[in-house]
Amino acid sequence: MKEKVLIVPCSGIGKSLGTVAREGAYAVTEDLCPERTKLMPLALLVLGEEETRAAVSGAKAITIDGCVRACAAKVVEGAGGTVAHGLQVLDACRRHPDLKPSGIAELDENGRKLAQALAEEVKGLVENLTEEVSHA
Amino acid sequence: MPDLPKKKVGIIACSGEEIAEGTVTRLAALQVLESLRPQQTVTICLPLFLAGGEGDRAFARFHPTIAVDGCEKRCAARSTEMYSGKPAVSIVVGDSVPANSAGLGSARRLNEAGMQAVGQVAEQIARHVDRLLDGKWDRRSGQPLASSLPQEESGTRQATCSCGLGVPVQTLQVAGREVTLTALPLIFAQFREVGKLPSDSTKTELMRAVKIYNPVPSEEEAAYAQAVMQEYAAFCRGSS
Repeated sequence: MKEKVLIVPCSGIGKSLGTVAREGAYAVTEDLCPERTKLMPLALLVLGEEETRAAVSGAKAITIDGCVRACAAKVVEGAGGTVAHGLQVLDACRRHPDLKPSGIAELDENGRKLAQALAEEVKGLVENLTEEVSHA
Repeated sequence: MPDLPKKKVGIIACSGEEIAEGTVTRLAALQVLESLRPQQTVTICLPLFLAGGEGDRAFARFHPTIAVDGCEKRCAARSTEMYSGKPAVSIVVGDSVPANSAGLGSARRLNEAGMQAVGQVAEQIARHVDRLLDGKWDRRSGQPLASSLPQEESGTRQATCSCGLGVPVQTLQVAGREVTLTALPLIFAQFREVGKLPSDSTKTELMRAVKIYNPVPSEEEAAYAQAVMQEYAAFCRGSS
């Protein structure tokens, strides 16, 4: 595995959904698939420096957005990256209606469980993407 | 300057997910928005400058803004200036809290020193908020005087997030081309509310307000004024 999959979470600050996106991204990049993934801060992409654009260009990214404005997916595409999968925390909420998150600075138990469930979904997508690369 | 809806200070954190200092920016901003100055501050996600619309990009032209960055790249300050408007204040965590990332914990979980840094940076932001709003403060206690700031509402406090709200904008035809003016709907509403009818003196006042939030080329000022007055007349007809 040469190219790592970029995990780009929403950097939302005012809602629980942004925190779920970020916690899910940490769970993927630090716990579930640290060897296959790399966390990419959205702020760097917004700044759009050449070095960052080069790192994103050609790499496959999984974006995790906290709301329908889909900043992460739009900014990655704008920076020349490929959004292999654009996930929405809201969709994860629909799949797990029993896990309604709350808390922004710190998620409640439901929020943490939702972030973990989201991370497991992302893990599956990362495995598919990296297998596609190794079979290519 | 017209008495537009209550002036607030915009807080933009880099929120850098890779380093502990980025987490400090996010939590410090949140502390100001939720606890220290909830009535005086508002935030917007940095990526909305790219992913959002003109109303989002108008954020720093409308609000005096404090950019809070985790490192010397200063993504929040530089991006805000690039896409919206120059921040009134730029804070870098490392300048305020002389410790390296390892000393603050991890980006995912700050340690005790990291949480102390959050408090320090939050206090620094709050001081800048007070200065920008020119509030009156008890200099000994560092607390706001009871009558100088809006009273906080009781009940649950929540960060005021501008995602999806933005600053209202309006597009006009100026000299044959489309021009989008920030805050124009608010300015119109305010003028109408105080009974200002379309006239030459109103035109002068309107343009003075428009120029606070929008660059108006001097050679085109007459064309802008004509377009703004036409729209204001239509606005008054529609709201009468």
